[in-house]
Amino acid sequence: MTTNLPAIDVHAGLAARRPNYLQVTKGFWSWAATLDHKRIGIMYLIGVSMAFLAGGTFALLIRLHLWDPHGALFTGPNGNVTYNQIFTLHGAFMVFIFIIPAIPASIGNMVLPLMLGAKDVALPRLNLVSFYFWCAGTALALYAILAGGFDTGWTFYAPYSLYTEQAVVSIGMGVFILGFSSIFTGLNFIVTVHKLRAPGLTWFRMPLFVWAIYATAILQVLATPVLGITVLLVALERTYGVGIFDPRLGGDPVLFEHFFWFYSHPAVYIMVLPAFGIISELITVHSRKPLFGYKLIAFSSLAIAIISFLVWGHHMFTSGQSTYAMFAFSFLTFFVAIPTAIKEFSWVATVWKGSIALNAPMLYALAFLIIFAIGGLTGVILGSLNVDIHLHDTYFVVAHFHYVMMGSIALAFFAGLHHWWPKMFGVMYSETAAKVACGLIFVGFNATFIPQFIMGSRGMPRRYATYVPEYEFFHKFSTIGALIIGAGVAVMVGCFVHSLFAGKKAMQNQWGGVTLDWQTPTPPPLENFDTPPVVTHEVYDYTTLDLRTLQTPAS
Amino acid sequence: MSHDHGFVVPAPGDGFLPHTVAHHFDTPTQEFQAAKLGFWLFLATEILLFGGLFAAYFFFHQEYPQTFHVGGAQLNWVLGGVNTTVLLLSSFTMAMGVRSAQTSQKRKMQFYCWLTILGGAIFMAIKCYEWHVKYTHGLGPPVIAGMHVEQWFKDTHNVMADVPHGHLFFALYYTMTGLHGLHVVVGLGLILWIIRDGGKGRFHANYFLPVDLVGLYWHLVDLIWIFLFPLFYLVS
Amino acid sequence: MTATDHTHAASPHDPHGGDHGHAAGDFGPHHVTPASTFLNVLIALLCLTVITVAASRVDFGAANLLIAMLIASIKASLVIAIFMHVKWDTAINKIVFLSSFLFLSLLFVFTLSDQATRAWDSWPSKVKAPVDKEWEHPSKVGSHQ
Repeated sequence: MTTNLPAIDVHAGLAARRPNYLQVTKGFWSWAATLDHKRIGIMYLIGVSMAFLAGGTFALLIRLHLWDPHGALFTGPNGNVTYNQIFTLHGAFMVFIFIIPAIPASIGNMVLPLMLGAKDVALPRLNLVSFYFWCAGTALALYAILAGGFDTGWTFYAPYSLYTEQAVVSIGMGVFILGFSSIFTGLNFIVTVHKLRAPGLTWFRMPLFVWAIYATAILQVLATPVLGITVLLVALERTYGVGIFDPRLGGDPVLFEHFFWFYSHPAVYIMVLPAFGIISELITVHSRKPLFGYKLIAFSSLAIAIISFLVWGHHMFTSGQSTYAMFAFSFLTFFVAIPTAIKEFSWVATVWKGSIALNAPMLYALAFLIIFAIGGLTGVILGSLNVDIHLHDTYFVVAHFHYVMMGSIALAFFAGLHHWWPKMFGVMYSETAAKVACGLIFVGFNATFIPQFIMGSRGMPRRYATYVPEYEFFHKFSTIGALIIGAGVAVMVGCFVHSLFAGKKAMQNQWGGVTLDWQTPTPPPLENFDTPPVVTHEVYDYTTLDLRTLQTPAS
Repeated sequence: MSHDHGFVVPAPGDGFLPHTVAHHFDTPTQEFQAAKLGFWLFLATEILLFGGLFAAYFFFHQEYPQTFHVGGAQLNWVLGGVNTTVLLLSSFTMAMGVRSAQTSQKRKMQFYCWLTILGGAIFMAIKCYEWHVKYTHGLGPPVIAGMHVEQWFKDTHNVMADVPHGHLFFALYYTMTGLHGLHVVVGLGLILWIIRDGGKGRFHANYFLPVDLVGLYWHLVDLIWIFLFPLFYLVS
Repeated sequence: MTATDHTHAASPHDPHGGDHGHAAGDFGPHHVTPASTFLNVLIALLCLTVITVAASRVDFGAANLLIAMLIASIKASLVIAIFMHVKWDTAINKIVFLSSFLFLSLLFVFTLSDQATRAWDSWPSKVKAPVDKEWEHPSKVGSHQ
């Protein structure tokens, strides 16, 4: 890491005579044993992308099977059990292996230290350990598939998860290890934000993506251990019959649900808060306008994090907990809508009269605004105790969480990739192909899940391998939508891969951002900045934007 | 700007080694505070991990108070009290060990750390003995994977016959003291490492961070036991 | 091999350090707790342990567990504040450990109050039906394999 080369004047666009972080060392071990957060972010990106494709394949299998009311793919005496395994795999892969790590560990790792003006995260070796824990957890999950699979649903509720096939312990231990990966990432980011900010970078000059990741990290550290103890107890119960969740032995399956959802509700905010952070960044940059209500958005991230710990019982309205607990949970659930709505309105107010660039990242961000509005509002509907009694375990719930998890979070992830791709790799993808992919995904997504809202409200239960003919039209419509999503994702992936081999050079500051991540050379050097930055202006002050950097090619 | 060498913290005298601050930190204070904050966050996760078990304890205590009353009477409160005392003493010796590192007293630090290990070892010995006694009475712990309740909870002296689901109390007892014991063993390993590296002169008034962090870990182990003791041994 | 005392503090005669010495150099925040403080805390903890055992002999009825936990909390506070040095620590470290207990208490409060209030419901939810048939995995029910 010793360099004696002169500092680069980014604005003059001199050809770099020092290597960027991709070039500085080569070979397998320079990646496998790297301590560079950017390389770790890329390794995570490859990993979670593969998890996404795997989870998406399982999703297509589900939708193809549901083409026919009697089940099109998994027939025969074990067909229903196989179907159960497939939707369990879809959920487990998407939730634990893809979404929870995706934005924080890939985009967060790549971008957070850049945004703070730091050389790396606070604990680089822990960062690498996080990544290897992710690998180990995923390996255990794959082993669990080979060892016979698991058909409990990704929520592995007791008492079924206590009695059913073998591999529950394997996947449980995989989830335990993945949980620690998540905890270590969150821990690292909290310390980084507290201790490694550049001089002049006060809390209220931090980009909102950093606030979002910070709030997420709090949740990762405080909530995930409870998931850890839950899977440990399930494993102990399966192995030694301890009886804590087993009603035959005096245990209480509702206690399992309390433990599980104590983590899993904050978990959904672990998933969505980073997405909010990405949207905040994209909206401001691509409208070239400071974010409306910066402090509101910053504090709303923290408010969402705190309130998320108070509402988990809204997943358990039909489980048998006391009515009074249900009143409390339903009442508290409505409060989480307030900070969330503050964000949505602030984003819209930012776009209003901004100088909008309708490029691929912005299209994804605008799609997010529409889709998340639907997803969030249907969440409020489900939070109403009386209505949820009818909608619980129907496709209405499935549609709601896919609107927030896929339509919002995954779309924000794609948006972030399109936005920071030129920064990380110094190349641009084909704008046309990216827009086509975005259009396909948006159309396909709505085609898949709007029918699910309708049939859910008409009673179609979730996790059923077969159904009555009344719902056939909706299922077929939904399956076609899923295929369109598949096509869109294929175009997007092809677009990115092509850019790595034959993409045009990106610009130093492709979009005209003014946060520190856009002030560093593109792609960044190993220690991120040629001279350590000192921050002297407010965070989204576009008067400081040097337009020459949008014309200067990347090094 | 330090691209190639981190800030070097000098040794305070003979027999000690200097410490090089990691390259992405600007000052040793920044490194110290970052590491300490990170470790406190890790301790927070441990509190929540064990906390889940405590929640299960309180839940079942509320549901089956008689079971806990009778179950607690089966445990030897004297041994539990001795264990509590031993762990508190070891916490004291650990704190003294950290203090010795802070004042560059190498031999004293190692001495106090050995005392701490002794305390931890006595604790584990008593714990193993207790588990063994329970085992001979047919009250567990389950030792082979795949056992059903009736196989490990035989209750040969029928002490839990009159209360519902007696195995629940003991299941919680073994899970909680077992997980705690695992943490004690890990702690002993960490302290051994501190003694070894301390012997090389790595820890002194200008750099004692690892000793401080291992000390925090050991105090956490003591903290958990402070709550476990009354809940299991004094509940009758 | 003799233990040399490197404290900067004003009492070099006492090898255990007589006061709140500040260790050498500017290499990080250094508050060195005097050994006497540690000893006092140890004695307090041992006394509280005796009190815990004594209190368990008295039956306070429903408050038994609460009182035991209260005494344990006092002991814990001493360990955290003095042994773990939190009293002299940065604000953020204090916030971190306090938050962990705060959020843990949420788990306790909601779970326990759920269980406690189940009896208030009008239907007999505390009645557990007897299980007289062994559960069978759905793939084996009614199959011929």
